[in-house]
Amino acid sequence: MMFACCRRNTFLITHKRLRLGFRCASSASSTAEPADTIFALSSGQGRCGVAVVRVTGPAAGGALRRVAGLSCGLPAPRTALLRSIVHPQSKEVLDRGLVLWFPGPHSFTGEDIAEFHIHGGPAVISGVLQALGSLPGLRPAEAGEFTRRAFHAGKLDLTEVEGLGDLIHAETQAQRRQALRQMAGDLGHLYNGWSEQLKRCLAHVEAFIDFSEGDLIEDGVLNQVDIAVPQLQMEIEKHLCDERRGERLRSGVQVVIAGSTNAGKSSLFNILCQRPAAIVSPIAGTTRDIVETSLDIGGFPVLLSDTAGLRDTGDCVEREGVRRARQMVGLADLTLVLVDSMQLPQEPQMVSGFLSEYLKNVLPSAKDHEQGYVLILNKSDLLPKEHISMIQNVLTQTSDMAPVSILSCHSREGLDDFLTLLQDRLKTLCGDPLAGSPSLTQTRHRAHLQKCVDALNQYYEYRDTDLALAAEGLRLGLSSLGRITGKGS
Amino acid sequence: MLRLRGLLIQHHFLSNCSARTASSVACREYDVIVVGGGHAGTEAAAAATRIGAETLLITQKIETIGALSCNPSLGGVGKGQLVKEVDALDGLMGRAGDYAGVHFSILNRRKGPAVWGPRAQLDRGRYKEFIQLELLNMPRLTVIEGSVEGLLVSTADPEQPGKHTVTGVRLADGGNEILSSSVILTTGTFLSGSLFMGKTTSPGGRMGEPPSCSGLTHSLREILGLKLGRLKTGTPPRIVKETVDFSLAHLHLPDLRPTPFSFINTHTHCKPEEQIPCHLTYTTPGVDRVVRESLHMNSHIQQDTKGPRYCPSIESRVLRFPGRQHQVWLEPEGLNSDLLYPQGLSMTMPLEMQLRLIREIPALQRADIHTPGYGVQYDFVCPTQLFPWLQLKSIQGLFLAGQINGTTGYEEAAAQGLWAGINAGRTALSMPPLSLSRTESYIGVLIDDLVGHGVTEPYRMFTSRAEFRTSLRPDNADLRLTPKGFEEIGCVSSPRYLEAVRVRQGLSEALSALKSITMSPSRWKEKLRDACISETKSTLISGEEMLQYKDVSFDMVASAFPEILSPYLEFSERIKIEAVYRPHCEKQQREMERMREEESLSLCPDIDYFSLPVSLSDEVREILDRVRPSTLGAAMRLQGVTPAAIVHLLNYVTRTGRRSRAVAHTDCF
Repeated sequence: MMFACCRRNTFLITHKRLRLGFRCASSASSTAEPADTIFALSSGQGRCGVAVVRVTGPAAGGALRRVAGLSCGLPAPRTALLRSIVHPQSKEVLDRGLVLWFPGPHSFTGEDIAEFHIHGGPAVISGVLQALGSLPGLRPAEAGEFTRRAFHAGKLDLTEVEGLGDLIHAETQAQRRQALRQMAGDLGHLYNGWSEQLKRCLAHVEAFIDFSEGDLIEDGVLNQVDIAVPQLQMEIEKHLCDERRGERLRSGVQVVIAGSTNAGKSSLFNILCQRPAAIVSPIAGTTRDIVETSLDIGGFPVLLSDTAGLRDTGDCVEREGVRRARQMVGLADLTLVLVDSMQLPQEPQMVSGFLSEYLKNVLPSAKDHEQGYVLILNKSDLLPKEHISMIQNVLTQTSDMAPVSILSCHSREGLDDFLTLLQDRLKTLCGDPLAGSPSLTQTRHRAHLQKCVDALNQYYEYRDTDLALAAEGLRLGLSSLGRITGKGS
Repeated sequence: MLRLRGLLIQHHFLSNCSARTASSVACREYDVIVVGGGHAGTEAAAAATRIGAETLLITQKIETIGALSCNPSLGGVGKGQLVKEVDALDGLMGRAGDYAGVHFSILNRRKGPAVWGPRAQLDRGRYKEFIQLELLNMPRLTVIEGSVEGLLVSTADPEQPGKHTVTGVRLADGGNEILSSSVILTTGTFLSGSLFMGKTTSPGGRMGEPPSCSGLTHSLREILGLKLGRLKTGTPPRIVKETVDFSLAHLHLPDLRPTPFSFINTHTHCKPEEQIPCHLTYTTPGVDRVVRESLHMNSHIQQDTKGPRYCPSIESRVLRFPGRQHQVWLEPEGLNSDLLYPQGLSMTMPLEMQLRLIREIPALQRADIHTPGYGVQYDFVCPTQLFPWLQLKSIQGLFLAGQINGTTGYEEAAAQGLWAGINAGRTALSMPPLSLSRTESYIGVLIDDLVGHGVTEPYRMFTSRAEFRTSLRPDNADLRLTPKGFEEIGCVSSPRYLEAVRVRQGLSEALSALKSITMSPSRWKEKLRDACISETKSTLISGEEMLQYKDVSFDMVASAFPEILSPYLEFSERIKIEAVYRPHCEKQQREMERMREEESLSLCPDIDYFSLPVSLSDEVREILDRVRPSTLGAAMRLQGVTPAAIVHLLNYVTRTGRRSRAVAHTDCF
């Protein structure tokens, strides 16, 4: 680095020369070092017919080839080509759209540019942005970055700069509003909290570096950091793993109905899809394979599956059905655990014990029970009213059995309450799509959070040998977090 | 014009210099006049002469030139970097430290080379001797004794920004006027300085010296309309060494091998075995008690004026952290000095209480005070009124450096003095002024912080102020600054430049040679038996990568490949540091590039932001008008300036750029 530094001092900053020739200085320096490749949604935010995603920088060509599946080479410059847009890792087809290739220097920024004209739904846009973000060397653009690159390459005339300034203003206003909206929510608290913690860690390390030779700091500051950093890193990693909400919104929430035979699973399935999609009969073991359908429940995309009743059986076809049912439950975002109320023990005190056993049988043990299921007591029409209220009493006292719906698929009693409960659960699983465009920001979040986690590794790596480099890791981590919350460090 | 060149410089030790003072230099004209002979003033005068300006240094007493008025030490964490950078630009401070140092150590030794703090205890007499010898033998430099009463000011050159132009200074007694193109004020704590001890206050900037004229403050505040603020600082009592019981303090030895500050010194003047130790001791509850009991007799501590937070008085320490043991370093004042400097015991209580206080410390139980501690309050000029080349925005030709800009510390003063000297000289010689970037030096960070954000308390350098700390290391200051100092600034001598080029070449060759050596981990393991190398990696490892292992030194690798690497053994430590840091510095390079690009876009200093015909919010206009950033980069770092505003400013810069390109060779400054 230092050699480069010495060579580059040929464009020394002098007041006079600057005003005469800053342009040559800046273009010289921008060719000296390869820039990052950045991407962004170039069309407006929100639902629209067609959305344009732009990628600029040295890795734009590679990104185009991988995402548009162009194994034999890049398309002819400035010619539209209809392609499937594919996620480079999962190979999932995200959309079909037009791709264009503008090799530098004859492009908006003067660099290589790839453009994707895709359908304008938030799910598609977020999918494509996430796909691009997963490629090495690509990162989401900051506000105004495209313009600045274009400007430095001498590509904009003055009126264009003026116009783009207004555009960026609008964008940053929108970002600010969006940030404000998020900041008011749990996510904002979470990120700001992390930022604060990391800032404190960094302050401790900096104080240790700059003052530990005197006695102006307290003892043991570094120990606090050694405890806080791994905790923070673990929290962020956990958050990154849990954070599937954007993807759920795109591909639909996996909801699986499960329970013992003849509990009324297929009846509930039919009620939810408002048509007799599954065969219903009083014979136990009617449903043998998975029956699936896509639904829109309260505006949320749901992939609903009906499964075979869980029981030990000698029938090899049914046994395969049970195996598939269990596998399905393992993959579910939400399991509707159906119970035949007639099977409940007569003694109300024993109900909760029975249900715990029942849940254990239906749900795979490793699954996070809190988030993953709704317990439904079906056939309430067959029980006397007093008995039901007794059961309800018992269940409200048993806190670990939180969400229980008592309903009758037959009389439809209790169904509205159940649907409200279901919608609430879906909302938590997907995030609220009405609040701006969470999936868009999540692409950015994910990239920055991942960067933060990586940067924190540098802390451990150098903690004992070089505190300056260890602190550098914390600095990088903090600036990544700062880019999410919009507060630069 | 006939100048006084050479007239006074034959007189090293000045007895009759003062006689020549006023009358001999009156009615002469200089390129640069430097007012003040402290660390800022001496570096300023030396730098101005190095770039070829006829320079006059005016000081109250030639005898105090280069005096260490407070602590007898130089460098430290963050400050050491400044010393190295001043040296890399051929300043005096590093070489003076090597000459005067009696106890060298590198602080933060275990925390990584980027934050190492080269530091030395100094012999006060030797330091002064070195600085005076240098200055009084310097071509193009005249040194006189005198007191400046006011500035000569005329109307500004309308072609350039600013309301006034400085044309020289007026001396006290007799009112002689001396003309110059540039003036640098480095008045330290003397600007409306008041000394405090107990309940008594007297005018002055340093104990035992006459106060400077109030005329200068008047000039700055009333005539030039500058915004001034007030700060305070203090110094501890000096203790008679033979009255101290060292057996009750912890011995602190210097480094076995003293490391010189200067890049052109291979060793220090003091031999390793001649170094003298320091001692560490602690305060007791009795010290707390004396502080409390004397509070009502201590007017300095009762004032609201801001003092140095990171070099606090014992009163502030006790009041802030009651009931704690505080460190007290007993530092030698010199090889043959009878005095000790108790670092950490800066105090302003009455003399009898000072004596009571120090005697509460076991090692100082029977100690005597030679000179009492005291406090100083002084005016400073809010540094946001300066350009990054340390000239006042509203006064052409007037430069400020040192404590007058709100900083504390010798090193901070010297760094500013050097940069002000270079620019005052350049302005006088009709060369455009220069700025140093945050991306290339701590000096750049220091000045950018001062002119961009101002100060609310005495500003001291830390390593954490430099965002590119891992690139701006003490070890590579020569590579960062010396070539630039020679090729572009003209403040570096040719031998020093050639040495820097030789080092750069050697390092570059050594690193290429290391890269050319690639082997499997198991082969490396055979070659370097002492190193612990993980053999799990299957890829080949280069010699450069091997150095990234903690316990692999360049010497070890060189002994395995003597034919390739032995020519570079003299750079052993630097190569190791370079190899470890290079991957991280490369990551920073892009960010630095961006900052440099933005810093290279200058904003004309006389822009009327309120009538600028571009789309900016009132709030942004107000911020820009108040701070008047010199570059787009500085504007971007201001709180409240939006990305959109930056794009509009960018647009504005292009327009002005094009216009000035059209009128090409006319100077716009």
